[in-house]
Amino acid sequence: MAINTDNGERGEHWEAQLRKGCLEMAILASLWHGRLYGLEILRSLAENSRLEVAEGTLYPILSRLKGEGLLQSEWVEAEAGHPRKYYWLTAPGRRRAREMAGTWNEFAAKLAVLVEPVVAGRNGGGKER
Amino acid sequence: MTRSAQMATQVLAQSGDSRIDSYLGRLEKLLAPMAPDEKEDTLCEIRAHILDSTAGAADRDAAVDRVLRLLGPPEELAARYGTERMLTRAARSFSPWLLLRTCWRWAMLGVKGMLALILAMFGYSIALALTIAIFLKPFMPTVGLWLGPYTLQVGTPNHPELERELLGHWFVPVMAVAACAIAVGTTHALRWMIRSRAPAPLSALPGTTLPGSAQI
Repeated sequence: MAINTDNGERGEHWEAQLRKGCLEMAILASLWHGRLYGLEILRSLAENSRLEVAEGTLYPILSRLKGEGLLQSEWVEAEAGHPRKYYWLTAPGRRRAREMAGTWNEFAAKLAVLVEPVVAGRNGGGKER
Repeated sequence: MTRSAQMATQVLAQSGDSRIDSYLGRLEKLLAPMAPDEKEDTLCEIRAHILDSTAGAADRDAAVDRVLRLLGPPEELAARYGTERMLTRAARSFSPWLLLRTCWRWAMLGVKGMLALILAMFGYSIALALTIAIFLKPFMPTVGLWLGPYTLQVGTPNHPELERELLGHWFVPVMAVAACAIAVGTTHALRWMIRSRAPAPLSALPGTTLPGSAQI
């Protein structure tokens, strides 16, 4: 049915927007434990948060975060293969990551209370149409 | 050349297949507005990423196709770099010209950019109009702030018998302060909007499709 398709697309769009909104925080968080290069950041996001980020999205954002002074980068010689450009958090980057994570935790905790009956499927007394 | 730049250049020296060379060649041309060091660094990083993504793949042709698709067409990748760079510079700038150019580009990416462009054009146009009125005043004494039955306007009166000028000799200083205040206010509002922006979605760029619904 057309309505279902439309709702499905809206749901996917909403999910994509939600993930996009978290992307900057997720990139900063992925670098919390140390330095990583681009592909490692992509894999870390995919494995730890199921954020499948396209390469064409990641690199310009890394460039901006570096321009804003939140990241620093350096080319590092590899034991095998070619050199790679590693990124790590600067002091302002760590502060920003901490602030964003704090805001996220507070927001998620409050929202979890709100959606808990929805997740549990409890009847709120209203009629479904 | 710094050690970092030397290492970056090593990546470029490693030749891939013709599709990679063609992709990077097109990207290089499109990144022309970048500083040469920054451009080379970007190209090296993209090539290193392609090499990493395709290393050890059983079907290298398919792996190259996949990574080039995920990077997006060079035009879109260059546009994203350009927009991110311009937004970063504009967030720190007090130049109305740079802020206007940035808002023009940002407006193509979404509603917030469009609102910023409208604010920029509205605010700076008023500031410019008031400045022009100040410079015209010595040559056209009738220029002033005129209050009519239903209008309040800066300029020359349409119906002098029905309108009266409000500022007299205070016209120039008052208009100078107003023009500065509007220009500075517009600049600060635009800087705030740019700093508080969310990253632009790839899908907002013309001709781009998301590879999967869960992919950003």
